[in-house]
Amino acid sequence: MQAAECTWTHFEMLRPFCFKSPSTTPLFFNFSKHFQKGYSDSSFFRSNWRISNYPSFMATISSVSTHKDPVSTHDATPNITHQPVQVAKRMEKFKTTIFTQMSMLAIKHGAINLGQGFPNFDGPDFVKEAAIQAIKDGKNQYARGYGVPDFNNAIAARFKKDTGLVIDPEKEVTVTSGCTEAIAATMLGLIDPGDEVILFAPFYDSYEATLSMAGAKVKCITLRPPDFAVPIDELKSTISKNTRAILINTPHNPTGKMFTREELNTIALLCIENDVLVFTDEVYDKLAFEMDHISMASLPGMYERTVTMNSLGKTFSLTGWKIGWAIAPPHLTWGVRQAHSFLTFATSTPMQYAATVALQAPDSYFAELKTDYMAKKAILVQGLKDVGFKVFPSSGTYFVVVDHTRFGLDNDIAFCEYLIKEVGVVAIPTSVFYLNPEDGKNLVRFTFCKDEETLRSAVERMKEKLKKK
Amino acid sequence: MEGKLSSVAKNFTPSSIQELSQLAQKCNAINLAEGFPDFPAPPCIKEAAVSAINNDFNQYRRVQGICDQLALKMKKTHGLNVNPLTDIAICCGQSEAFAAAIFSIINQGDEVLLFDPCYETYEGCITLAGGIPVYVALEPPQWTLDPEKLMRSFTSRTKAIVLNSPHNPTGKVFSRDELEIIAEGCRRWDCVAITDEVYEYITYDNQKHETIAKLPGMQERTIITSSLSKTFSVTGWRIGWAIAPASAASAIQNIHIRITDSAPAPFQEAALTALRSPIEYFETLRGEYELKRDFCMKLLGSIGFRIQFKPQGSLFLFAELPKDCLLSDVEYVEELIKQAGVVVVPGRGFFHGNESCNYQKRYIRVAFCKSGATLNAAAQKFGELINAKACPKILY
Repeated sequence: MQAAECTWTHFEMLRPFCFKSPSTTPLFFNFSKHFQKGYSDSSFFRSNWRISNYPSFMATISSVSTHKDPVSTHDATPNITHQPVQVAKRMEKFKTTIFTQMSMLAIKHGAINLGQGFPNFDGPDFVKEAAIQAIKDGKNQYARGYGVPDFNNAIAARFKKDTGLVIDPEKEVTVTSGCTEAIAATMLGLIDPGDEVILFAPFYDSYEATLSMAGAKVKCITLRPPDFAVPIDELKSTISKNTRAILINTPHNPTGKMFTREELNTIALLCIENDVLVFTDEVYDKLAFEMDHISMASLPGMYERTVTMNSLGKTFSLTGWKIGWAIAPPHLTWGVRQAHSFLTFATSTPMQYAATVALQAPDSYFAELKTDYMAKKAILVQGLKDVGFKVFPSSGTYFVVVDHTRFGLDNDIAFCEYLIKEVGVVAIPTSVFYLNPEDGKNLVRFTFCKDEETLRSAVERMKEKLKKK
Repeated sequence: MEGKLSSVAKNFTPSSIQELSQLAQKCNAINLAEGFPDFPAPPCIKEAAVSAINNDFNQYRRVQGICDQLALKMKKTHGLNVNPLTDIAICCGQSEAFAAAIFSIINQGDEVLLFDPCYETYEGCITLAGGIPVYVALEPPQWTLDPEKLMRSFTSRTKAIVLNSPHNPTGKVFSRDELEIIAEGCRRWDCVAITDEVYEYITYDNQKHETIAKLPGMQERTIITSSLSKTFSVTGWRIGWAIAPASAASAIQNIHIRITDSAPAPFQEAALTALRSPIEYFETLRGEYELKRDFCMKLLGSIGFRIQFKPQGSLFLFAELPKDCLLSDVEYVEELIKQAGVVVVPGRGFFHGNESCNYQKRYIRVAFCKSGATLNAAAQKFGELINAKACPKILY
């Protein structure tokens, strides 16, 4: 019996070094002044510039935004004249996301939503039934923090099937509320304030936000059309012994690019040389159409420095279940688990049981998934080409990025606004996925994770109403 | 490669409560340690979840109806006006709501007051966000709040105070007077109160839970966090919320979207059914837990405990070891597993203060959110030991 080993260690926290500058700022300043303090912060200035350049779009947005102007008096408590709840400095990066804004506009204008990346069809019955059975069987209480044992085992088995790597489900797998939380836990658990982290732009918007929560210094390398290839020289000059980590999303949202073996090999060599960690977001790994998906962790010498993240949502069309995971060697897993335990403590129990069943799906499920999505992709891509867009090749994910400039709008946000209001279709402006929005102003992202009728209707609307200027 | 861990992660130790549960499983011990039920969740709520899955509520969503229901409840129960469109963020459990609340208002170096003893996770969140936890000890055996001690703990760097009531681990329900004292501190020092009210519907002896937000000047500076978990016995569903002034609620929502993006969609739907439960549901809940509390007190009494503080709420009994017992809390818990096959939690993990107080190693926490069968099984084990008169180390 292990009682004698006494695992009930007193939960003792060593105080981290803290910022000692005495605060002389009176606590009674209001919200807007707090933001003005941020003017010297270049990223805040950038977002401010973006707002002032696209006034009509932002005016529309503000009427549907959930972000309420805090200086105005609150309906529910008319006696407030100032806002005692001053939000933290890190909130400068945390505005309402572009996805929420676009979805709200879509509803307002009855537009067909090819913006937000979730299916308008549902997940497979066998997975839903497994969740229902788990609920009925009473699997409704806290799961083990880092995952239900059967699910951890299933994740390890799946990883072995996909990469050939044998891992310990107890020590090297952490279950999280979606891949989004895996990313947040990885950043908070493994990144110190001031650490350098390399990101490839365009990037999924939560990366930058969570990196700022961890206090990281972001170094951005931009991938450019037409093939969004990794600029190797730029990477070599950016990566150094000061780099803590590099984040790779493959297959890539929003471009659909898949990192090639050559690119991954080059990055791997540089990481080994400079002792850099790699965090990979592989949620679209089963939506790899034009080439095979490659996990960085499977490259020689890379498993020991890689956190591989994935989720259920995209592969099984159940994005709202929030089941994700991080696979990493024990010394890295430990950091991820600590942060995870303070972010959400545990992940939805019945869904983990269902996910266990899902990951054991036969090869035919995945083959059919690919076939279905390739048919949808064909409809959209051909349609977009017929409408007149310049369509960039997308090897994976359910996204495709196009150049909209021949339609004569100034930038991506203006184009998306026009597309919703005048054409009745939603796309996502890609400038929000770049540190420098200028880099994205010619591009917008469409998704094809919708049923075929929706895709055809959207294409029809665009053919009818989108006029070349 | 250990050098690659962030300094914050290096200082963390695994959750002692979770480790105990694993040990209990290995030993097949009767688990009166972790605070979740071992009886089924209410059938109609499970049916609502099943129905949601079948009706394709399975993609990212934010169910506004939950906010509407919560706003109604806040008005009915506490007389508070809450705007369901702007003042509520839906999160993955109260855990995430609390983490997002901390990240939304705590800057590096901000101090956050916490009452000692307290749930072990708050400190971790605060530290992760760069804040500094500062403890104010509640005084045993009644866990009273010393107003002067509290006021002395506020400094110009204090940004917030965390208030968990009904309280884990002690079962204390902060009285109106105590809430007033805390409110006075918040108003005087312009601080935010972040509350954890997960046991809000579990109070005893006609005691009512009151939220500090209803006190004068407090709604504008309070973030309330709570969840479905304890009220509806679905701790594994991860549906919680934060209720706060719009600027904070918006910030919390925006952080939540970057941490997890969405709370599990089918359970959000089921939450609508749960939150519409009739008043009888809550009365029954309270009544059943009160019976279990009383049973638990008798159980400990039978093996020599003298319970000086009767829980006024929550699912826990925080009991001091009998005077004649020379063991520490950890040693006692070990003996209890070995001799009686029952596992509880040693109290020291809930204390954080720098005060070198002996009492911090003299408490055990017993969870009574267990089925009648479980509690009876524990009683039976104790009964056997008492009859055998065989265990001087745990019988007093």
